[in-house]
Amino acid sequence: MADHTTGPSPASGAQTTGHVWDDDLQEFNNPLPAWWTYGFYVTILFALVYWVWYPSWPVGAGFMTGIGKVTYVNAQGEEESWHWNTRAKLLAETQEASALQKPYFDRIASLPYEQVTQDPELNSFVVSAGKALFSENCAACHQAGGQGKVGFFPNLTDDDWLYGGSFERIHASIAQGRRGYMPPYGEAMSAAQLDELAHYVVSLSGAAQVDAAKAAKGKELFNSHAGACYYCHGDDGKGRQDIGSANLTDQVWLWANVPAAEGDAAKLDAVRKVIASGLDKGVMPAWQGRLSAEQIRLLTLYVHELGGGK
Amino acid sequence: MSATNAAVAEPYDYDVIKKFAVMAVVWAVVGMFVGVYIASQLAWPVLNFDSPYITFGRFRPVHTGAVIFGFGGSALFATSYYVVQRTCQTRLFAPGLATFTFWGWQAVIVLAALSYVMGYSQGKEYAEMEWPIDLLILFVWVAYMAVFIGTLMRRKQAHIYVANWFYLSFILATAILHTFNNIAIPVGLFTLKSYSIFSGAQDAMVQWWYGHNAVGFFLTAAFLGMMYYFVPKHAGRPVYSYRLSIVHFWALSFMYMWVGTHHLHWTALPDWASTLGATFSIMLLLPSWGGMINGIMTLSGAWDKLRTDPIMRFMIVALSFYGMSTFEGPLMSLKDVNALSHYTDWTVGHVHSGALGWVAMISFGSLYHMIPRLWKTEMYSVRLINTHFWLATIGVLLYITAMWISGISQGLMWRAFDDFGNLQYSFVESVAAMHPFYVMRAIGGMFFLAGMCLMAYNVYRTIRQGVLAAQATAAPAAAAA
Repeated sequence: MADHTTGPSPASGAQTTGHVWDDDLQEFNNPLPAWWTYGFYVTILFALVYWVWYPSWPVGAGFMTGIGKVTYVNAQGEEESWHWNTRAKLLAETQEASALQKPYFDRIASLPYEQVTQDPELNSFVVSAGKALFSENCAACHQAGGQGKVGFFPNLTDDDWLYGGSFERIHASIAQGRRGYMPPYGEAMSAAQLDELAHYVVSLSGAAQVDAAKAAKGKELFNSHAGACYYCHGDDGKGRQDIGSANLTDQVWLWANVPAAEGDAAKLDAVRKVIASGLDKGVMPAWQGRLSAEQIRLLTLYVHELGGGK
Repeated sequence: MSATNAAVAEPYDYDVIKKFAVMAVVWAVVGMFVGVYIASQLAWPVLNFDSPYITFGRFRPVHTGAVIFGFGGSALFATSYYVVQRTCQTRLFAPGLATFTFWGWQAVIVLAALSYVMGYSQGKEYAEMEWPIDLLILFVWVAYMAVFIGTLMRRKQAHIYVANWFYLSFILATAILHTFNNIAIPVGLFTLKSYSIFSGAQDAMVQWWYGHNAVGFFLTAAFLGMMYYFVPKHAGRPVYSYRLSIVHFWALSFMYMWVGTHHLHWTALPDWASTLGATFSIMLLLPSWGGMINGIMTLSGAWDKLRTDPIMRFMIVALSFYGMSTFEGPLMSLKDVNALSHYTDWTVGHVHSGALGWVAMISFGSLYHMIPRLWKTEMYSVRLINTHFWLATIGVLLYITAMWISGISQGLMWRAFDDFGNLQYSFVESVAAMHPFYVMRAIGGMFFLAGMCLMAYNVYRTIRQGVLAAQATAAPAAAAA
């Protein structure tokens, strides 16, 4: 850098300090810009105001609490005022929201389910509060719209219910949880028998073209003491909602992904696999104790409304 | 005999500086690549490939470690050794120790990255290294301090140049911060796992006292040191104000130490401690800006250089981003603004406007100035520097714009209530809303990385050309001898 500068600063005419480093490094001795100095004072003033308003300097065992106040209603229903603090602020802000919710929750608690669904205003509340509760607690398994996931979690938007779609049954499912179980038949049955059973089960819903002879043999097995499928699924294969056994005659599948399987052979195979390996993963947790009674009541209404509540 | 002659002709120890300069470029490419990769994972989760070794959780400290300590650290070692020798007109004190700092520091970066990928971490942001690596850092740092202070003490100038104050404060503060934040009890002598001696809110407070001063002294004071040498040197103009440099140096050093608690607003930390963090952040605004004023005003009388010299442009844009992010920081440290910004991508955008806009850009400018002088040649291509400048600028702008939008949307979505007092959005809805901005951020990162690759190529060609020229002049001399 050849232009070795010795002249005054073009900004102010200030001279350099006279020190030179590394051939040509120098420093002008310009004064502090006034806006910089006053700006700095303003930030100090701002800090002073902040210290007066919020809790600030520690003094002895305590601290300056500041003049800012937060008011909220305590558990006894009395108004309490505290110096500004994060915890009181959280209480005050959650109370603001719950004060808006309370009249609706109270009315929903005092009315039978059927009456709630007939009140348009309460219905809008159910949709709004239910969406928030459902998204935070249920959607991780049943998905955001409640459509579930074949092979994992039941669809809540159709009118097919493993444990029943009445308000009472839905409430029981949410509050107490559910545990789906089917024993594995892979070792109890021969490969041919498993195949015959699969043919019969698929034929019940007409999901695929099956070999009629095999299906007939499967039907015998289904209703015999050897297979004993009818214990849970019933003679007609329509399932029992009191124990949560699946209806095998409709087009709704939870475990065997028959709709996604392409071709008759694949559909049969999907069913055969479930018969062979059984089921031990259908666990829905109990929400009693995690959610309040009024929240569970609200979710019951919301799930009922999602699709085919009975 | 020619080797001895060369040593006599060379008044400064450049060998260790050359090594650090090359590694700064290498770590920048590596670290930015990992950054682009994890940004892409957030946009396209399939890139996790179901492998625990390359998940965001493990790659993220690999990214921050490689860019902050690998790229930033190597650039600081290189420039500080360069600046302290040239402004003190003396050779390095204990050059053997300086070489140890090079190999030790590179080992730290490599070992840290390997340990993160293996799943070892202290869980402290920017201090994830487990205890054996922390000890190695300590040895390297003490050696660094000895070399730097030793060189200052044998200076041939009465006055210590301002850049060296900043470098020295960075070295001292980093030693203190690193030591106290990493006091931990290892589970056993032959295991990497350890537990911090602090716990709960105190651990969090010590961590963020470290964490923010890593930003304050490692990423700000140190790079201001770089700025104070390379901006006036490259512009060929005197620093704007000696007085301002003193005032803002001491104000900055004093204020920074207090502000860490602004990372812990609305947590279990006592409210009074978070208030102090907020107010000292506000009072830090003008002291921070002192460096920007001194850098930008140094150019008064030489503004035309911005039109013709892309290196100067890197430096001035770096100072502009520095001014912007040191304004944004105090703003975000106010309790009420922080209630919106905390835990959102706004924080990520803020860090990157400082890290890419300021730290990386001032380093690019300084390296482009220093590297041809180290190898006694010219930069291979000024046009490539110019392209690098535009790729980097577009990259930063895309990055921080994406994070502003996504961060502020997140903050607003998380706190939105409807007329019934119910939460309007679930968390996962806010995640889904971020997707386009995560894509935009990843693209911004790709621009920045592309520019960095151009720089690596340009530096490689420059060094090659310098080495070839040196051989060409040495050969006839050797033949003559």
